[in-house]
Amino acid sequence: MSVPGMTETTEAVARARAGDADAWGELYRDFAPAIFRFCRRALPTREDAEDATMEIFMKLRDKLSQYDETRSFSAWLYRVAANHCWDILRRRKIRQDKETEDVDDVPLEHPDPNQLDRLIEQKTSEEVRHALQKLGARARMALVLRYYSDMSYDEIADALGVRRAFVGVVLLRARHELRQALEGKSALAAGGTS
Amino acid sequence: MSEPANPLSPEGPGGTMDHLDEMTCLLYAERQLDRARAQAVSAHTQDCAACRTLLRALDRESRLLTRAMLEEDEPLPSRLAEFQERARKSFGWIWGVVFGLAATGVYSLYTQVELWQKRLADAGFGGTSLLSLLVFQGAFWKGWQSVTTLLEVLAMLTVAGFGVVIFRRRLRRGSALALVLAGLCAALALPVTSGATEFHKTQGAYELSKDETVKGDIFVTCGRGRIDGTIEGDLFFFGQSVEISGHIKGDAIIFAGSTRINGQIDGNIRSFTNNLTITGSVGKNVLTFNEVVNLDSAGKVGGSMTAFAESVGVDGHLGRDLVAFADQTIISGTVDGEIRAKGRTMSISSSAQVGGPIHYEGDNPANVASGAKLASAVQFTKAEHKSRYTEGHYYVWRVIWTAAFVLFGMVLFLLLPKFSEEAVRAGERVGAPLGLGLLVFPAVPIACVIACITVVGIPLGLLTLGLWILGVFTAEIVVGAVVGNWIFGRSADTWGLIGRMAAGFVIVRIVYTPLEHVHVIGGLVALGIFMWGMGAISLALYNRFQPKVSASALAGSMPPVSLPPHTTIGGIQPI
Repeated sequence: MSVPGMTETTEAVARARAGDADAWGELYRDFAPAIFRFCRRALPTREDAEDATMEIFMKLRDKLSQYDETRSFSAWLYRVAANHCWDILRRRKIRQDKETEDVDDVPLEHPDPNQLDRLIEQKTSEEVRHALQKLGARARMALVLRYYSDMSYDEIADALGVRRAFVGVVLLRARHELRQALEGKSALAAGGTS
Repeated sequence: MSEPANPLSPEGPGGTMDHLDEMTCLLYAERQLDRARAQAVSAHTQDCAACRTLLRALDRESRLLTRAMLEEDEPLPSRLAEFQERARKSFGWIWGVVFGLAATGVYSLYTQVELWQKRLADAGFGGTSLLSLLVFQGAFWKGWQSVTTLLEVLAMLTVAGFGVVIFRRRLRRGSALALVLAGLCAALALPVTSGATEFHKTQGAYELSKDETVKGDIFVTCGRGRIDGTIEGDLFFFGQSVEISGHIKGDAIIFAGSTRINGQIDGNIRSFTNNLTITGSVGKNVLTFNEVVNLDSAGKVGGSMTAFAESVGVDGHLGRDLVAFADQTIISGTVDGEIRAKGRTMSISSSAQVGGPIHYEGDNPANVASGAKLASAVQFTKAEHKSRYTEGHYYVWRVIWTAAFVLFGMVLFLLLPKFSEEAVRAGERVGAPLGLGLLVFPAVPIACVIACITVVGIPLGLLTLGLWILGVFTAEIVVGAVVGNWIFGRSADTWGLIGRMAAGFVIVRIVYTPLEHVHVIGGLVALGIFMWGMGAISLALYNRFQPKVSASALAGSMPPVSLPPHTTIGGIQPI
């Protein structure tokens, strides 16, 4: 996958792996802002995000030797970050979602597209970020992995520990939760038909 | 992938008149459908405007989500701007030494002060709880033990700060601070005794008549006060003048121009007055800051008297010791204990009787009349204006206190990294913080006194005063950090800033120490440092409360936000 906001620095990674402290610093400077923002979106508080960012990079330094240089560094970094944040959330048992992998729960409604359009039209990025903070851990994490980290469904399934076929359901439910958070319990969020 | 069962097929039971369900639309939009299904959906959307609109809406929602999440709404926290582990390791031993020195200093001081504490307690200055000491029995009102208390509070705050730093990863910052504050408050408040308190506030005169009795404590703010009745608790008086002819069973804490005690006070007097005259009786001790204090020939103090005044006269009977820091000390009455006086002149008249030794340090020997009955001769010490800077232990203590301040600063910077950085940045402007400091430094204490005088504002006044004192302590730390930044360049992370603060603070101390004994220059430099630091803190506070226009200054560089490709839908025009 390609990661928005990140530049590949293969050379710096190679030097960092060889123990070059400057290269490590370079990597940190390049990637810390994006990883912090990722943690900020995924975790409930700024302090959590700060701590998690530090921990991720400490973990990363230990794990750098395991990195497969034929693959994207930023994607690998996001995977490490995603696993770390998801571990934090699971350990804390923050409002674990009640979702099961019961396919009967798959939402099949056709919501009013115009209403959805209007909602999207009205809401600002800031309001969306604010609403994201109100979501359950899994819903928020799913949206962050997909729409911030641009992870594939396979990678999201791996990170969240769900079957791949269930990722779409998790994402759709997350969107519903987000709409609810944006506008309360409207028909939209419930997936009302047109 | 194999989609969840039964995503409504366009060829399904509903035929082409049925709409696609949202799940199918999402999977299609995200390119997760297999080829056959994707084609069917595409074909359906050619004819179905509603489904086309839904696909478009889902696409817009994806874009909105991506945009919202990628936006740089918060700068990278300073502590993350540089990877800190290396710095921590290299400077770990320095912090160890600093902490060790500070701990040694605090412990040594405490053990030294403990002796004084015992002595003061013997003299009736024993405290009850930290809160009562801080609020109603603290630095201003009930004695010197607050010196110890201040150390205790500093030690507690330092320990609490470390606690917050250590446990911060497990607790949210707000809850951690709340926990610590709640704990402190609980610890402080626990031993406070309860009692009914009366408040009287008037512009004119206040009188407690002879037949009146106040059951608990009483706060009086007025022009002229007259207490002829009985107060079973303490009297707190703020006003122009007060005359106490009645009976106070507790203590009298007085802020007044003129105070006259004709009646009986069973407890202590703590007074900040221009003139204090005691013709009645005081059961315990007197601590007074004023111009003239006079224990009249009819007056009697059961305990000791500690006076900071221009002139101290003892004509009456003092049950225990006299400690006087006064230009002029005149003893005509009886002092059962010892006398320790420091000033310019001391006169002991023929009617004087002193039961204990007399230590007098002044410019000239005491003038002792021939008829005076003294237990021993006056031990006179010629006041030597010797510089303390020639003594080795001064520098040892200087180092210890420097370490303690650095440690204190470190805790503050770790607890409030963002605000600390803002304060230091504000300090770098020099002119503005100095100007603001010039205003804040004297204005805040004045405002506190005014708040206290209005009685209702006492808690607010004391709280503000407490913050002001904290600001005074912190001012030098901020200035140290500014100097450190100037010398070593700005640091992007908190530990770097702490390092610069430590180095800058030491440099400021080194530069300032030789200047300190040059009276005018030393005083001016000290004042300048305090004003500069406090101005920087005030400026940072001011800026903090200003509405923020933008918060996009990111320490690290990030390429422009670009939308990920997956939000494009095949067959549908991007919006």
